[in-house]
Amino acid sequence: MNTHPTDDLAAFSIGALDASDQAGVDTHLALCEVCRAEVASFAEVAWGIAELAPLVAPGPTLREQVLDRVRPRTARVASTASRPPLLDGLRRIFDLRVPLAVPLALALLLAISLGGLGSARADADAYARAVAGVADGTVVTLAATAGTEARGSLVVPATGDPYLILRLPAPPAGKTWEAWVLRGEQPLAAGISGDRWGVVTLVLSQPVRPGDGVAVTLEDAGGVAAPRGTIVLQART
Amino acid sequence: MGRTPVVPVAESADEQLLERIAAGDAGALGEIYDAYGRIVFAIVYRMLASPEAAEEVAQDVFHAVWRRAGAYRRERGAVRTWLLAIARNAAIDWRRTRGKRVEREVELDAATAMRADSSVVDSVLLSLRAERVRDAVRTLPPEQRDVLALAFWGGLTQAEIALRTATPLGTVKSRVRLGMEKLRLHLAEES
Repeated sequence: MNTHPTDDLAAFSIGALDASDQAGVDTHLALCEVCRAEVASFAEVAWGIAELAPLVAPGPTLREQVLDRVRPRTARVASTASRPPLLDGLRRIFDLRVPLAVPLALALLLAISLGGLGSARADADAYARAVAGVADGTVVTLAATAGTEARGSLVVPATGDPYLILRLPAPPAGKTWEAWVLRGEQPLAAGISGDRWGVVTLVLSQPVRPGDGVAVTLEDAGGVAAPRGTIVLQART
Repeated sequence: MGRTPVVPVAESADEQLLERIAAGDAGALGEIYDAYGRIVFAIVYRMLASPEAAEEVAQDVFHAVWRRAGAYRRERGAVRTWLLAIARNAAIDWRRTRGKRVEREVELDAATAMRADSSVVDSVLLSLRAERVRDAVRTLPPEQRDVLALAFWGGLTQAEIALRTATPLGTVKSRVRLGMEKLRLHLAEES
């Protein structure tokens, strides 16, 4: 089951695999230091290629726009309040990235349909393919809490570590998805989603025994020792 | 056994910046923007060929850095390659969801031609490393160079490249792998 995906590592490092193959290699990398080193060396080649991009300067306001998106709301209000009204009005116009003739409600619908549905559908397809592609072992579908977009399946292979195949929305700022194995009443931290969202695989750092539960919660970035956040997925084996 | 991994100073500094960002330090985000903002913009501009789209995507990239800094794992690679993956994925996602695929010929090394354009600044900052990569790219057979360009700048998967170029998928996979291996070998020999 754990043969090295050697032929796919170069393509993985430049994102040239399709979603299900990418997820498969990602799962392997969580377990294989040798392949991680190989991917890291190809990633350096990729960085070299990236440096061939012509040095085109971004607009002078990009830095401020980047920081403006992450500043606390109060800081942004204070910043806006100190700006001359005319400048503020111009800024709003330039920040609005839809034609001015489009009514706001329609623009919102456009933004939702253009920005969300395509990737959501692709994620759903990739998730279904990843679950369907499980070669051996037991697959347990995790129940999703009402209102969440998250989906997940626990895979307990015949050999090797158990893992989750997850379809996760991007966590809010400063948060991450964290997996737990529930042994009786005791929750055991079993891994965080890392820098990944969308369709991801997460190898559990805890064994899953018959009768154990598995859950995924939203926690502070970096993970926590005991679950405090909202449960979005759960199942009992 | 038991050796402490040596992390270059620049990489260590980048990792410290991510730790600060994960702790909610917007100033650290400004610092990482200062270090990588221009190259991130250049990458997405190269992929999207639109300054407006590139600015929008670059904003998304650094917002993703803000949200996901705590999830960075050193064992998966350097901060800059993590950032590169975020930038390329954001550009690919933008192109796929907005339906504005840029259908134009792409070359793996278009830097020389585009640097003469009046919109290009700071050409004097071309690094020795970029020259070495450019030399390495020139050693690749054209068919390997082309598939890498379609994958890297075009954002296409191997299957999409096979379909577009009417080439067997196995051949495309071989070209991607061999091209990347040759670049890596060439760069290792150079250094």
